[in-house]
Amino acid sequence: MDWGKLKFFLGEVGSNFTRNAAMQLTAIGTVAVTVVLLGAFLYVRDTLASFGTGMLSKIEVAVYLNDDVDDARARTIAVRFAQDRRIWGATYVPKRDGLRRMKSVLGKDFDTSLLTANPFPNAFHVRVRRPGDVPAVAASIAKYPGVAKTDYAADTVTKLLRIADLLGRVGLIMIGLLVVTAAIIIANTIRLTVFARRREIAIMQLVGATNMYIRMPFIAEGLLAGLLGAGLALGILYIARLELVPKLAATIAFVPFHANEPLLAGECLAVGATVGFVASWFSVGRYLRV
Amino acid sequence: MISLRGVTLTYPNGVRALDDVDLEVAKGSFVFLVGHSGTGKSTLLKLLYREMRPTSGEVTVDNIRVDRLRRSKVPALRRNIGVVFQDFKLLSHKTVWENVAFALQVTGANTKDVKRQVPRSLDLVGLSHKSRMLPSELSGGEQQRAAIARALVNNPKILLCDEPTGNLDPSNTTEIMELLQRINLKGTTVLVATHNAAVVDRMRRRVVRLEDGRVLHDDERGYYFRGLGQTQVLSG
Repeated sequence: MDWGKLKFFLGEVGSNFTRNAAMQLTAIGTVAVTVVLLGAFLYVRDTLASFGTGMLSKIEVAVYLNDDVDDARARTIAVRFAQDRRIWGATYVPKRDGLRRMKSVLGKDFDTSLLTANPFPNAFHVRVRRPGDVPAVAASIAKYPGVAKTDYAADTVTKLLRIADLLGRVGLIMIGLLVVTAAIIIANTIRLTVFARRREIAIMQLVGATNMYIRMPFIAEGLLAGLLGAGLALGILYIARLELVPKLAATIAFVPFHANEPLLAGECLAVGATVGFVASWFSVGRYLRV
Repeated sequence: MISLRGVTLTYPNGVRALDDVDLEVAKGSFVFLVGHSGTGKSTLLKLLYREMRPTSGEVTVDNIRVDRLRRSKVPALRRNIGVVFQDFKLLSHKTVWENVAFALQVTGANTKDVKRQVPRSLDLVGLSHKSRMLPSELSGGEQQRAAIARALVNNPKILLCDEPTGNLDPSNTTEIMELLQRINLKGTTVLVATHNAAVVDRMRRRVVRLEDGRVLHDDERGYYFRGLGQTQVLSG
């Protein structure tokens, strides 16, 4: 490793970086705002996804059997469940248990004195392996002989998830636009640096510096702006997480606030670095003309 | 070392900067390119270091067809050619040492080479004692010597000088020309574009006169004006 060469290169990057300090700060700030929004968005998305998946995984398909289906025939239906790979398990709830459950849930509010017979059918509570399979499994079970109807509560959750997905897409488009803005600002900053250093660039070209060598400090400058912006954003996000999430978790107890934080931080840094790198690469290519 | 055959350069606006120029320069020679401003001297030099390409004709430098050279090969060509300008083109925020070292550093030279070659180059131009000074602290002649040191630090085979004494007083002009002569004696091919008749007449080297983009005459040990020394022109 030639430290002298490294020192010279870093000196070049440093002198690029400090030449347009105000513009550089604008670029870093824009990246930071973008990444803060991106990070918050990813965190909320992760939380919603795990919340939704958690809800869906608890959903059971209620399978109500015809009145004429006795325990023995119910057993043959259970065998068919076992053959379906999508089904994780099933619990048989004979009609007497159905009534008992209802009594235990509703307690005194459930007055059985008016009943002349047990109104509950024999039933199965079926759990599927993947939440997404719930509608399909319910539909195929409904066709079994002896099955009166199937029911599941997934509709509400699916709708919720669909709304979350839509909001996510809108959020992504907005973040996309912000990323483009950040890229344009970085590209302009690089353009100004290229302009400020045109004499040096001309001399570099004259003495035989390769195009890649001339480009490198500018690309490093863009990369640095992107990384610093993302780093600043991560700092802000970290403080927000420490301050806000416990309060939110206390207010909305049923939502599990959770995200893969190291992965999320990595994603934010990668976005910052990519924006800086790509913007400066194109800017240098366009304005350097080497 | 340098060869131009049937070289023509026409600008997009139709102005013909060079018109069917033929020129051969042997290795180790010293050549003056003379002529009025706008006769194509600088353009001819630019063709040699591939700042420009001819509209037609062949340009060969050190057995390389420069007119056909791919862009990616231009840096390698330029490492073999030192170029000096009238306005020195020194970086004002760097010291003399840093300006000279810059030419090596940006071509990827290692620190050992930089530390060995920069003092050698500064010594050659007689600026070792001013290596820590900024260009603004030097005289015009010293600035041009610093620029020459930078042009030479890569040990180029060819040194191209575009009006190197254009901004200098007579005493500094003499110094610079003597320096160029010394560099030539060490084996470097030197081409000097100038319209300083006194310098050309004093040195009596090969003189190629350009007029309207054409080679008007080409004399070994010539004068600025063919057959006449500067003094004779002025007195006659």
